[in-house]
Amino acid sequence: MNLFCYPVLLIFLILGARLWQLQIIQGAEYALKAENNRVRRIELIAPRGMILDRNNEVLAEHRSSFTVLLYRESITDPAETIRFLAEKLGINSEDVELKLRRSRESGLYRPIVVKEEAGIEDISIIEAHRRDHPEIQLVPEPLRSYKNNKLAAHLLGYIGEVTEEELDKDLFPSAHSGSLVGQSGIERKYNELLVGQNGERLVLVDSRGREVREVDPLDERIPITGGAVWLTLDLELQSVAEEALEGKVGAIVAMNPGNGEILAMASAPSFDPNAFSTRLSYKDWNALLEDPDHPLQNRCIQNSYAPGSIFKLIMAAAGLESGFLGEGTFVDCEGTAVYYGRVFHCVKDGHGRIGLENAIAKSCNIFFYELGRRLGISRIAEHAAILGLGEKTGIDLPGERSGIVPSPEWKRRTQEEPWFLGETIPVSIGQGALSATPLQILRAVSAFANGGILVTPHLLYSAEKSEVNQEWPKPQIPVSESSLRRIREGMWRSVNHAGTGYNAAIPGLGICGKTGTAQIVSKETQKRVPGVADDHAWFAGFSTKENPEIAVVVFVEHGGTGGAAAAPLARKMFKAFYDKRK
Amino acid sequence: MDRRVLFGFDWLWLLTLLALSGIGVIAIWSTTDGTSLDSYFGKQLIYLCCALFVFFALLYFNYHVFSDYIVFIYAAGMIMLGLVLVIGISSHGNKSWIDLGIITFQPSEVMKLIVIIALAKYYSRHEGEYLGIKELFIGGLIVYVPVFMVVMQRDLGTAVTYLPIYGVLSCLAGIRKKHLLLLLVIVVIATPIAWFSLQGYQRGRIMNVISPSSDPYGLGYQSRQSEIAIGSGRLLGKGFKQGSQGNLGFLPARHTDFVFAVLAEERGFVGSVLILGLFLFLSYRLFRTAREAKDKIGMMIVAGVLGLLLFHMTINIGMVEGLLPIAGIPLPFVSAGGSSLVTYYAAMSLCMGIWIRRYVN
Repeated sequence: MNLFCYPVLLIFLILGARLWQLQIIQGAEYALKAENNRVRRIELIAPRGMILDRNNEVLAEHRSSFTVLLYRESITDPAETIRFLAEKLGINSEDVELKLRRSRESGLYRPIVVKEEAGIEDISIIEAHRRDHPEIQLVPEPLRSYKNNKLAAHLLGYIGEVTEEELDKDLFPSAHSGSLVGQSGIERKYNELLVGQNGERLVLVDSRGREVREVDPLDERIPITGGAVWLTLDLELQSVAEEALEGKVGAIVAMNPGNGEILAMASAPSFDPNAFSTRLSYKDWNALLEDPDHPLQNRCIQNSYAPGSIFKLIMAAAGLESGFLGEGTFVDCEGTAVYYGRVFHCVKDGHGRIGLENAIAKSCNIFFYELGRRLGISRIAEHAAILGLGEKTGIDLPGERSGIVPSPEWKRRTQEEPWFLGETIPVSIGQGALSATPLQILRAVSAFANGGILVTPHLLYSAEKSEVNQEWPKPQIPVSESSLRRIREGMWRSVNHAGTGYNAAIPGLGICGKTGTAQIVSKETQKRVPGVADDHAWFAGFSTKENPEIAVVVFVEHGGTGGAAAAPLARKMFKAFYDKRK
Repeated sequence: MDRRVLFGFDWLWLLTLLALSGIGVIAIWSTTDGTSLDSYFGKQLIYLCCALFVFFALLYFNYHVFSDYIVFIYAAGMIMLGLVLVIGISSHGNKSWIDLGIITFQPSEVMKLIVIIALAKYYSRHEGEYLGIKELFIGGLIVYVPVFMVVMQRDLGTAVTYLPIYGVLSCLAGIRKKHLLLLLVIVVIATPIAWFSLQGYQRGRIMNVISPSSDPYGLGYQSRQSEIAIGSGRLLGKGFKQGSQGNLGFLPARHTDFVFAVLAEERGFVGSVLILGLFLFLSYRLFRTAREAKDKIGMMIVAGVLGLLLFHMTINIGMVEGLLPIAGIPLPFVSAGGSSLVTYYAAMSLCMGIWIRRYVN
């Protein structure tokens, strides 16, 4: 009988020791597990800050919407859940299965987004089946809304779910997997200023994942809306620019030449960034990517083109600063000229004996061919660089291109060939390998207007969250005021004194400008195949000559001549700017 | 009644039983909804009253009355088990209840006590130091015929609890080493046969103890949730109705088989160890009674009851703590359920009767 005592005592000891192990040694660990069991964290997405123009007009805001989430761990019968989603909410079964499989593979217990912008019907169906389908939940999610749809789409950018790659590189410090972040434009550049601080709500759930509604949320952290950002943009001027580009492919930028504040920046064709606010389907994505007109591209900064005759302004600066153009320097233009064994053309009958100012006004090719021959490629390249070509302007937008300023050194580097003297001639009139973004051209023209300051174009006007007032670099370039005065005179004549830019003229306003027509194919080919590959049309100018307040660049892809296709659009911009003043 | 009988009554023993049942009733109140007579809490209180009535009523009779008429009682028990197979109702896949109109009743619980008395009676008549093979065989029949009936009801958990009765009483009655070895050989041979006759889910439960994390959302779910409930109670517990594992439904069968997990969650290590202490004290009282019992049959009945109690308690707490496979075995005195409660109070009454009559002829 007594023999039974020891095993019995041993049993009690084992049971007690196990209690000690579970409750004392591993107690904290199990307490956490119990907490995770009963508490569900619901992330409350903070709305992003508003984007406004300089006059407090709203460009981007948010509106409330509901998103349907699927909690994988609460699913009891996957087939039934998928059937319910398909029949009651019209959600594609294959999509759900794919998302479920991916979620399982990732091993993360994050809810799966199955539908965004749920309608009132969806909401009532989900509420009605709350008890049978606790795995399907509705959460409010602020949706990014661009009030003016396509307007200023390129510079505003759009938002999208952060990618794994972006997370790895830590591009967005506040983002975690599943976060929506700015993917282009201002949304991306100033993501950290715009992004809010997400809140969370802790709710009690039972063993089937059903929220215990009788209990108040255990804890709630209210989401904090992101800070607002004001842009230097003027919504009215922006609208004028977009309307002017309607049906065309091209770009218009208007800027304060004194300080680099962008007043309007339009690129056509455009897209609707609202389409990205919900997780865009692959179909829509591909349609945007495969469109031959590349609507996602911001032509103002993300593509560079031959500047054509606008480059003559930079040639003039190079000639004046290098001492090749005195007050009495004239060239005889006879309509054609031969350089290095090749015939080069100007207007049919030639301009006759012509000086710098009129050569700019009438856009005489022969004058600048001759100037280019005398200067040589190195001096041309040097002054192009001084005026900011071949380097990024430093605008506060992602994805800017730097364009090309050809030089012997550049040619050796890229093509491993020496520079031929004959190549200098086309570069003199902005052709050849030379290319610049519309914004670079605008910045260079602004330097002629403002007395030689190379401003940094920018869009940030002020921000709610930004404590430091950003200083934008404004270097003075080594071009003398007397040289600038002669170039401005030429630009004034171009618009107001029988020049190529007369279409931009507004009586009473001293508008200065320069047209450009960038040839894509040779004149001979153009004659053979009419209508195909028309020239790119350019116009860049400012107003007024004495008091430059606005500088405008217009670029129309395959638009034809700058005087006919670009100058009238610039006129609209100037007119709108000064009409508003009245 | 003899005055010595009255004075011999062990109040501390009864208080221990009441403490266990009281803790159980409060735990059931804490982890289920409602306090009406229809709720689990209300029903448990009624069962407890019934159990106390049975306790005091049986105490009046000398235990020899039961052993003298054991043949008839045993036969009645067998008829009840047989009736279950014919008119029994099912619950949780087991067909082991009889519907008596007001309450349902589980004859296999009561039969355990009858088997103890019957086997004690049979072995106590044996004079020799060791049991012969014939006695072992007949003793085996006394136990295993009802076990077979219970297995027929698919209530394996209850059937298993009959095994220690045979083991403990056979050892006490005196068993030769070679016979013990023979029995062990039978067990060894029977184990694989039993294994393959088990239902799939039953095999899974056993496998789960060997490798608990292999399937956390499948069969291991119950064990895992039970361990979380116990562990998260920590030293002092979460308090009355504060156990999230129990109240939010993460714990399976929380008022019956897993009531110890509810207690551990809400009362912590201190409360859990207190319950183990109460069982230990109860075991001591039974042990003392067995040793000082007046006759062999008394000693054997008490030892049988002690073996049954310890077996029940070990299997249940071991299961809840994740040390043993999940089996539908309630914790004596604590778990919700009338049949088990009444049977155990009857058994205690029997043992108390043996204690207070230890000097009476």
